[in-house]
Amino acid sequence: MTLPFRVTVLSAAALLGAVVSAPAQEVTFAITAREVGTPSYNPITATRLNSANSLIYDRLVLQDADQSFHPSLAASWDQTPDGMQWTFKLRPGVKFHDGEPFNAKVIEWWVPKFAGTENADTVAKVDRVEVVDDLTVRFHMKAPDPNLLFNLASSFMGIPSPKAYEALGDKYGVTAAVGTGPFKMEKFTVGQQTVLVRNDDFTWGSDLSVNRGPAKIKKITVREIPEDSTAFLELQTGGVDLLYTVPVDFMPRLKAEKSVKVMTIPGTEIVYMPINTQSAPFTDIKVRAAAAYAIDQKSIWQSLYGGVGNTANGFLISSLQEAKVDPKFAISYDPERSKKLLDEAGWKVGPDGIRAKDGARLQVKLWTSNGTEFKRLVEVVQSQLKAVGFAADITIFDASTINAQYKKKTEHQLAVRSYSWTNADIIDWFFAARRAGYPNVSLFDDPKAEELNVTAMTKSRTWDERVANFKAYHEYILSQYAFAPIYEPANVFAYSTRRLKLPETIRGTRLTSQTILDAQVSN
Amino acid sequence: MLGYFVRRLIMLLPVFLAMSAIVFLIVHLVPGDPIDHMLQIGASAERRQELAAKFGLDRPLVVQYALWLKAALTGDLGEAIILKQPVVDLILANLPYSLALGLSALLFSTVVGVSVGAAAAYFAGSWFDRVVMAGILMGSMLPSFWLGLLMILIFAVELGLFPVSGARSWDALVLPVLTVGIGGVALIARVTRAAFVEVAQQDFVTLLHAKGLTRRRIFFRHLVRHALMPVVTILGLKVGWILGGAVTVEYVFARPGLGSLLITSLGQRDYPVVQGCLLMLGMGVMLGTLVGDLAQAAMDPRVRDRMS
Repeated sequence: MTLPFRVTVLSAAALLGAVVSAPAQEVTFAITAREVGTPSYNPITATRLNSANSLIYDRLVLQDADQSFHPSLAASWDQTPDGMQWTFKLRPGVKFHDGEPFNAKVIEWWVPKFAGTENADTVAKVDRVEVVDDLTVRFHMKAPDPNLLFNLASSFMGIPSPKAYEALGDKYGVTAAVGTGPFKMEKFTVGQQTVLVRNDDFTWGSDLSVNRGPAKIKKITVREIPEDSTAFLELQTGGVDLLYTVPVDFMPRLKAEKSVKVMTIPGTEIVYMPINTQSAPFTDIKVRAAAAYAIDQKSIWQSLYGGVGNTANGFLISSLQEAKVDPKFAISYDPERSKKLLDEAGWKVGPDGIRAKDGARLQVKLWTSNGTEFKRLVEVVQSQLKAVGFAADITIFDASTINAQYKKKTEHQLAVRSYSWTNADIIDWFFAARRAGYPNVSLFDDPKAEELNVTAMTKSRTWDERVANFKAYHEYILSQYAFAPIYEPANVFAYSTRRLKLPETIRGTRLTSQTILDAQVSN
Repeated sequence: MLGYFVRRLIMLLPVFLAMSAIVFLIVHLVPGDPIDHMLQIGASAERRQELAAKFGLDRPLVVQYALWLKAALTGDLGEAIILKQPVVDLILANLPYSLALGLSALLFSTVVGVSVGAAAAYFAGSWFDRVVMAGILMGSMLPSFWLGLLMILIFAVELGLFPVSGARSWDALVLPVLTVGIGGVALIARVTRAAFVEVAQQDFVTLLHAKGLTRRRIFFRHLVRHALMPVVTILGLKVGWILGGAVTVEYVFARPGLGSLLITSLGQRDYPVVQGCLLMLGMGVMLGTLVGDLAQAAMDPRVRDRMS
């Protein structure tokens, strides 16, 4: 063998080796149904963001599953006793993907950008941002905001590169997205996929990761697969390495797969049944209470969700302090109480088991939006309502249509729906009188509730005060039966153990960059 | 023939106008609008109004339609409200995938459908004919959504022959083509068989038999040309069916394409994109019908004469 020939062969072998070994650092993740079609990666203006967003952007603060706050781009912070000033020390040495430095000037530019956007509420109480020095900023508040850290930890608070943001204008987040996160966006095709490549400069991971950076994975393709069955089969056959969301239906089959690991983390969602308080017969609190006590949370949790997640007995996810209400306010299945309440309200059982009053049957409308999970759930709810004497007629809408129908205010009565949020202020969103129709699907308008709302939303000066105020507000809403709690899903995801190794404990409120930083690719 | 072509084109104009009006109205009459998807829950009515004005959604529907149609006639389908890209760019990025799927499925349906239909007609009344036509009838009844998942289970999961979904390699096209194509095979085979059987009963065929020509020669030399006329018409109409079927199939197989774009945009009520996609699909149907009619006219002078 001549030397040049050997060199050629060895080079080819090396090249082949590189080509063959390269995919080991490349993985494919899949997002499913609810996240499919997210139109952009612009955290400032977006109303929806998908799971890949956290890989591109860092936030000032991160929140763990136990709701505690951890430093990220802000290395530390403190507030004055009156809550009117917050000072943030920024992490040094941080650079955006386009090479621009991250510093106090960026924060001074970033906070005012929210004005006039749909996410303006997150920093609405910040009056102005003062640059103290290159790595220190001070927020001067219009009013104390004990919820500021929560807001700063939200996924909409990913910080973009000012240079890229201004240069791209409306196209920002669509044609390019530039953050400081562990992955750079290489390509985004809406509804199809996002290709992310490792940010080799990233060394500023938070204490929620063991690995502070760079990530061990070189390239991630985040595919959007709208059909749950297809996504499940892709994971089963190795077409994708990680599913961000696993429908509970598929859990037994995935658990049976030796090469797939299913993980559950505390949920961020509540499934519930809003009750239109302004539509007869639900104008009568006894009828509302009867509908709420007819829902058998435990049987739904066991039979429909295989015991995954938790039953819900209030409006908030169980990890929140405000969810820990006085037990007398918690709403749990009690069919006898339900029947007694209907009797008291004058609704008597007819020959077919459906109640009637003054010749009118207890016929009610029960709505939901399309999706396999809700379709099955609404049928169970229908049968549980029937057991106490309600005849519920089911209508299934697509998500956009149902919201438009809610806004008419006069069409709906009961509905099965869910929300995902990790803060008690969600009660304001769904029950404040000024939001009647949608999102206040219950059309709840009660003077005492409004008073409690104002106290909780605007008069809390400290975190503890806020917790107490929201707990009182939560308890009052429960006492008025404006909804029936049903189920608190867990966040379930699954990955291929042939391709990936993830830490045993998932930090953060969701599967985000903190976990992916620690993920290793199996060869 | 040129005169016939021009007359057919002129006839398409009112059809296009009617279709564009229907497309526009359908999209706007469905409850919900893109503003819902641009606002956080609980946004004020003023903010809603501001955004509606920004995108011209506060104008009378007739005005919106006229402006959209005027721009569409110059090839400008507007800017996506939610996706923030020119609609033409979005369509052009997705069209090749839909064309690859649609044309491959049409080719598959045609080749298999005509072959099977002709074979069933040749052996009309035999067990082969009955079994094939029964199988085809069953095939035509399968919903493409269900058939797609079945294809994935058999060919991707159990046999491991093709990818489950996506469009990252050529072989990812096979299962979607089969799924869309099988429904087409059923109709084309039925029409082909019926056409062959009908033509075989005509007087000129009896004459050919009387002249002593073999059955095979009569079938392949004389029946084919006559029998394929209705098949050509069906193929033209089938373009629309295949484009429609591809919408579901693209969803199941998580493939890019006009169908996927349409579903994504419909969910967000991104009016310009939905209108653009439906317009393209509608024009696909019109074009398919036109090509079918022209092909029929080219094969049969009587069709041209009827139009003159």
